[in-house]
Amino acid sequence: MQGDTIVALSTPPGSSGIAVIRISGPDASGILESMTPGAMAWKQRTLYNRVLRDGDGEMLDDVVAAVFHGPNSYTGEDAVEISCHGSMQVVSAIIEESIRAGARLAEPGEFTRRAYLSGKMDLAQAEAVADLIASETRLQTRVALEHLEGGLSKKVNAIEERLRSKLALVEASIDFPEEDIETYTVADLAAVSDETRREISELLESEVAGGKLRRGIRITITGPRNAGKSSLYNALLGEERAIVSPIPGTTRDVLRERIHIGGFTYHLEDTAGLAETVCEIESEGMRKGREAACAADLVLFVVDAGEGWTGGALEELEAHAGRNRIVVVNKTDLVPGGGETADCSPAGEVRTVDVSAVTGEGLGRLREKIFEFTANGEVSSVSRERIALNIRQGMALRRAEEALERLGRELGMNSPAEILSLEIREALDACGEVTGRSAAEDILGEIFSNFCIGK
Amino acid sequence: MKNDVIVVGGGHAGCEAALACARMGVETLLATIRRGDIARMPCNPAIGGLAKGQLVREIDALGGEMGLCIDHAGIQFRMLNRSKGPAVWSPRAQADKVAYHERMMSAIEAEENIELLETEIIGLVMTGGVVTAVMTADRGELQAKKVILALGTFPNGLMHIGEKQIPGGREGEPPSRGLSDWLSGAGLERERLKTGTPPRLVKVSIDFSRCEVQPGDEEPSPFSFRTGRLVVEQVPCHITWTGEKTHAIINANIYRAPLFSGQIRGAGPRYCPSIEDKVVRFSEKPRHQIFLEPEGRDSEEIYVNGLSTSLPAEVQLEMVRSVPGLEGAEIARYGYAIEYDFFPPHQIHSTLESRKIAGLYFAGQVNGTSGYEEAAAQGLVAGINAALALHGRGTFVPGRSEAYIGVLIDDLVTKEIREPYRMFTSRAEYRLSLRQDNADERLLRYAVRFGLLPRGQWERMTEARKSVQRARRRLEAESVTAGDAGTMRAARLLQRPGVSLDDVESLLAEGPLALGKRERESLEIEQKYRGYIRRQGRSAEKLKRMERRRIPEDFPYGEIKALSSEAREKLEKYRPETLGKAARLAGVRIADVSILMVFLEKAGAWRDGDDG
Repeated sequence: MQGDTIVALSTPPGSSGIAVIRISGPDASGILESMTPGAMAWKQRTLYNRVLRDGDGEMLDDVVAAVFHGPNSYTGEDAVEISCHGSMQVVSAIIEESIRAGARLAEPGEFTRRAYLSGKMDLAQAEAVADLIASETRLQTRVALEHLEGGLSKKVNAIEERLRSKLALVEASIDFPEEDIETYTVADLAAVSDETRREISELLESEVAGGKLRRGIRITITGPRNAGKSSLYNALLGEERAIVSPIPGTTRDVLRERIHIGGFTYHLEDTAGLAETVCEIESEGMRKGREAACAADLVLFVVDAGEGWTGGALEELEAHAGRNRIVVVNKTDLVPGGGETADCSPAGEVRTVDVSAVTGEGLGRLREKIFEFTANGEVSSVSRERIALNIRQGMALRRAEEALERLGRELGMNSPAEILSLEIREALDACGEVTGRSAAEDILGEIFSNFCIGK
Repeated sequence: MKNDVIVVGGGHAGCEAALACARMGVETLLATIRRGDIARMPCNPAIGGLAKGQLVREIDALGGEMGLCIDHAGIQFRMLNRSKGPAVWSPRAQADKVAYHERMMSAIEAEENIELLETEIIGLVMTGGVVTAVMTADRGELQAKKVILALGTFPNGLMHIGEKQIPGGREGEPPSRGLSDWLSGAGLERERLKTGTPPRLVKVSIDFSRCEVQPGDEEPSPFSFRTGRLVVEQVPCHITWTGEKTHAIINANIYRAPLFSGQIRGAGPRYCPSIEDKVVRFSEKPRHQIFLEPEGRDSEEIYVNGLSTSLPAEVQLEMVRSVPGLEGAEIARYGYAIEYDFFPPHQIHSTLESRKIAGLYFAGQVNGTSGYEEAAAQGLVAGINAALALHGRGTFVPGRSEAYIGVLIDDLVTKEIREPYRMFTSRAEYRLSLRQDNADERLLRYAVRFGLLPRGQWERMTEARKSVQRARRRLEAESVTAGDAGTMRAARLLQRPGVSLDDVESLLAEGPLALGKRERESLEIEQKYRGYIRRQGRSAEKLKRMERRRIPEDFPYGEIKALSSEAREKLEKYRPETLGKAARLAGVRIADVSILMVFLEKAGAWRDGDDG
């Protein structure tokens, strides 16, 4: 009853190890076959070692794959599971190739929903499925928002705006042919279409393919001033990267480095300590630090074992309520017997680790906690969502690029307005997938506010 | 007296509703305040235009009367947008208002099942949530199984000319007060809208030599699929322009404009603003276009299209006389703005039946729309649905990918109405398929199924379709060699821009295609759009699938905590009939639709609706 075929990464991605990609729907095995040209027939529920190739015959990865026929699969539909190498590039390439072969990226909770709808799950589970969809959507929104803070959305917004104003001209010429209003010219549309296409190509080069988009799991260290955040940062990195001094407020900018724990890649960030201050540079540093913590997958909140929850530390911690966090009680070497913080931990704080960044005591346990958290916690979904977002945005931008290419051709052939509109709408629609807005929707509003209509 | 259906209001919606009911074998009473006002055109003297022309063709294909009336009463015919592709060609005709009224009147009088009654309806009678009768002002209750309300701008109509406020439904006619208040008392939400009309000038007082002439098409195209060749002596329109002098007069008197003084509260249409609104909002424009349109072939009055206003009478005269060609003009009737009640259409089903009061249908301006064509389309749909319900024969709800009428109704039940709703081609996502030339292919089968048109009509159309398909197969099979373009299938060559069917036909080895004029046109259009329409096919399919997923009327949205609160609020207000309609509500996201799917499954609510 679903009709179409969906694809998504279903395991937490790491920089090494194995990732599992699932495809479900009537075309699932056809899509797998299209990536394995010349391979023998697939027997269901049997593992095969195969080389996946893209449409041009280029090798994507050496994988292990299996085909399941409905109803004997997780979703109850025909399905394929591909275990590939865990790198983001490989995962993205395979998913993109599946999409080119006819699948589409799964919506939040869609695999589970399909399993439910095809009767693989108990009716009583409806509530749980709905909650899953809602929470994965919240996650998707969060990741998308975080992403949009960057330059990408600004650039795509500008493109949307330009296309919208041109679409308004084209639509006005169709719906108001007798009005005395400005109309489009082929030369102007062609120039805009070329320029926009070029901009989109640049975006595709720099933002998506170049991997500027953040990949991996973000951990931000935050906490009161002089709690030893930079010492912890250096200790986790295993090198002296951040300047450490006993002077409160030494760190003023956000520092970022990559670390590996148990095969996963993390981006570790050190931020300025939080305190009342009148210093402009310092408050700017704190603002950046807070932003970083908001966008993080995991917050390490560091407190000084000797100071405990004094001086507003508790309020700062509460600002991270609802976020994934580990409270790190630092400088245990200076407080015999572990200090007073353990007792004063805020109620319900389950993840507290005592460490000494100086002696290295407790660091192993902290790494374990971080790993545990990644392997079975929400962080894995965050990074999975990021990959999906990258693919979605890349594909959407390419769709916009293709529509503009066709627009250029139609303009060259002097095609009528309703055809030009079709292509501009398609491009706008694709841009809307990046910015999360439906830009072509209120084109009439745009017409009425810009042109004097009213025969 | 016992009737099956009572239609309240004799405007464009009411007439189509009554005719559809009567033709479907239903005893129908058409109640109007004055017989002389049947199918009057209180605003512009024209039928059709962009998207509206398509609506008229669809009404005609469904057995409605509007196309035949305008073919009879038209005094100038134009196919708009000829310079663009055929998907956006739209027929429009200037109408002789009296002839239009007379033609509609004779259609109604010829219908045995219609009884025309002059009376005012001031309320309804309800029994257990079902309407059972209407209350008249002068003859008590009249029983009815179904009631269709097509009240136009009459409910609590209030006209404005400058500071003067005159209660009325239309110039010279009193408003309808009781009915709107009764409906409000019965718990229906009502809001106010505003519209307006320009002054009419005395024809002989205009110097047309100072204006540009706008003639009709040399070869006029009829609206109705049932009209053969149109033989008509056409009357021209004229174009002139406002100028600085006009704008200065308006600006000097703007404080007296009800629109700006706060006297008018209802929202007016942005696509049809008054001249004072245009001058204020687009002050950089040095001039505005004005069309001088005759109100009829022998009418003494000229409609001043583009000069809609509610300024005081003396300002209107001064303003008119500042326009070239109108220096000596006399005003026959002054322009005015009118505010009226409407009932926001989230309160109706797609059949146009009230959600709150069973057996009660709403059509036309009471639903917040504007335009004769939009009204007629709804009247027809309400009439068909009322008759179908009486016969226990299901419902008629055309889809968005099927007809502009489908777009219209779907928009009404899923969108918030903030200004009078008018149809535009840009509202239709499948514009390339919803053309004026193929309205019969899209809709005629319904008209035949409902008994609105004779079977023979259908057979003639399918014959024509078959000959088009035969010709297309020939084009797909035969190869042609076209100069530098090389050799290719004839069908491919025809898809190229600038290549006409005539060009291709001359290259066919097996001789010309045996096709009539209309069939030739249809083949050419289809072939030109083929690739584009196919590209849209997939999304149209998805749309249809979503429309088949029905949601029970009493679905407990409030209990589903996983829905976003905005979505829950919208879903509870609109109570969409299908998953597709739910998805089109502003504020309902994909995730909410996914969640709905899960719960609909839980409720065992999947029911495949019929396709309409």
